Amino acid sequence: MSAAVPSAAGEQARRDYLIDPHLHIETPENVLLAHQLAGPMFRVAAYLVDFVLRTTVFVVIAMVLLCSSIVPDSSAMGVLLLISFLLSWFYYTLFETFWNGRTPGKSVMGLRVIKEKGYPITFLAAFGRNLLRTVDSLGLYLVGFVAVLLSPRFQRLGDYLAGTIVVHERLTGMPREPIILEKIEPLPREDILGQVPAPRTLALIDEYLGRRHTLSIPHGHRLALGLAMALSDQLRYAGDPEVVRTYPMAFLARVHVTFHGRQQETMGAPATEIGDMTAPREGSHRR
Amino acid sequence: MTKNAFIQQRRASWRRFEALSSRARAAGTRKFSSQEISLYSRLLREVSRDLAIVRSHGWDPRLEQYLNELAATGYNNFYRSPSGTWRQILRFVTTDYPRKVRAYGVAILLGCALFFVPFIAAWSAVYAEPQRVERILGAEQTEQIDEMYGPESPLGSPTDISAIPDYVDERSGMFGFYIFNNIGIAFRTFALGLTFAVGTVYTLLSNGIQIGAIVGHVHASGNGERLFSFIVTHGSFELTAIGIAGGAGLILGNALLHPGQRTRWEALKVQGLDAIQIAGGAGLMLLAAAFLEAYWSPAPIAPIYKYIVGVVAWVMVIAYLVFAGRWSRGATP
Repeated sequence: MSAAVPSAAGEQARRDYLIDPHLHIETPENVLLAHQLAGPMFRVAAYLVDFVLRTTVFVVIAMVLLCSSIVPDSSAMGVLLLISFLLSWFYYTLFETFWNGRTPGKSVMGLRVIKEKGYPITFLAAFGRNLLRTVDSLGLYLVGFVAVLLSPRFQRLGDYLAGTIVVHERLTGMPREPIILEKIEPLPREDILGQVPAPRTLALIDEYLGRRHTLSIPHGHRLALGLAMALSDQLRYAGDPEVVRTYPMAFLARVHVTFHGRQQETMGAPATEIGDMTAPREGSHRR
Repeated sequence: MTKNAFIQQRRASWRRFEALSSRARAAGTRKFSSQEISLYSRLLREVSRDLAIVRSHGWDPRLEQYLNELAATGYNNFYRSPSGTWRQILRFVTTDYPRKVRAYGVAILLGCALFFVPFIAAWSAVYAEPQRVERILGAEQTEQIDEMYGPESPLGSPTDISAIPDYVDERSGMFGFYIFNNIGIAFRTFALGLTFAVGTVYTLLSNGIQIGAIVGHVHASGNGERLFSFIVTHGSFELTAIGIAGGAGLILGNALLHPGQRTRWEALKVQGLDAIQIAGGAGLMLLAAAFLEAYWSPAPIAPIYKYIVGVVAWVMVIAYLVFAGRWSRGATP
């Protein structure tokens, strides 16, 4: 298996925008994957959760050992020192190794450590990034914080050395069911004198309609107005312009019904003069 | 094909992959049957293809994000490297670690020198002029040392049977302390290499001077035998390991100071992984030292036997670092 390389597209994106919170990785299967990098604030929050947890564990064990006399005093001290050693040097390493890049704090914040080429973290990487935590934590993590801010991939020194990144693990669900457009009438063919809208425009309308339930009706109309007016111009729509102005959302839905099925079949072809307008409707918008 | 028809058609596969992927996330793919493995790999490729389709059509960004996450997580799970096995640890100890130490011999020797030279210098300085110890360690610590290694030393043998449980108890307490203190120091010394080695050099020198002053002071006060018979065995692991951890820190510092043909960060990255392994190996040596220091070194055994064991230990440690893994096959360090 050849190594995954950060793709040219990713590099390009980084040049285009000063701050790109995504890392683009091209896998050996030629799939471009995007990881959303975790910024410092999320990581501080994860750190605090882990810190509270570690402290709690230590205090509980200390109380149990010192208040009950399961083991003699000196041994109890020895055990406590040992635990304190493990908590400060190996808490992160072991969690990240055996829980695939997560610690309880990271898990709560939805973060995960991975290798910067998209592979899962290894023991060596986890060990390394957490050994260097000593340096990153100098001055209340000031060193690490500055390193993260200076790094294009939000890496602290330990991340840099171990070749790891911290990413958001967004467990988004599948997008909701397709919207029902059955009741929407397509625009009458004779009213359209212009060109078929670009696929990108139709995709935008599609997304807008998919999310319109999150908007109030007046707000939805207001958002739709600009696009609806521009489209109406482009299509040289011969219908009543007042209707478009008053109900832009409905107009967009009608445009969607009219063209959506059609443009998929002529994908890649340049926008053409409108031909048959009736065909696309059936089959395209069944539930 | 429209977006919706596409979703309808592919949804079942995505759901199946989601289920498989969450199982792989929880328990790894190792427990999968052979059919499940090939199903997983097929579905991963399908999801990747779907992602490419959605992306090239510019369909719903949420759909793209969903598929991206599915593919990324699936990819991540699928290529998870097998977790470390005992055989790998054994190979590290017997072969990889000493090889890496030798590969970076100059840095390691320099690290050892930065520790041992001030150690011996402080030892002889204090031995020659015993008053000097208070200028190095302060009066309070000097007193503690006198208590530890003086005639009332707890290092002597327990005189009667009833004292033995207390003795064992106390040694176990010290074991925890040795781990906490020594390995912590070694790891910190290593990590401070990132400060262009300044922190590493400082820690090595100051530790060398302090420990040397302690030895010199005890030696000068006539309690030498008690101390030497105590430290000779575990010192073989402990003192060399501190030097090695410091040497690993010097590797980091050197990568930053002399990056050669690479950028500083690239050089740090390339040599850093080796340095981390060397520091980890030094940690293992200190673990062994802590066992010896807690349970063997203070044991009530005549000093002559401790010296013999100690010399054997030194020879073994040096022979291990110089020769181990020289003839075994496998990747060069």
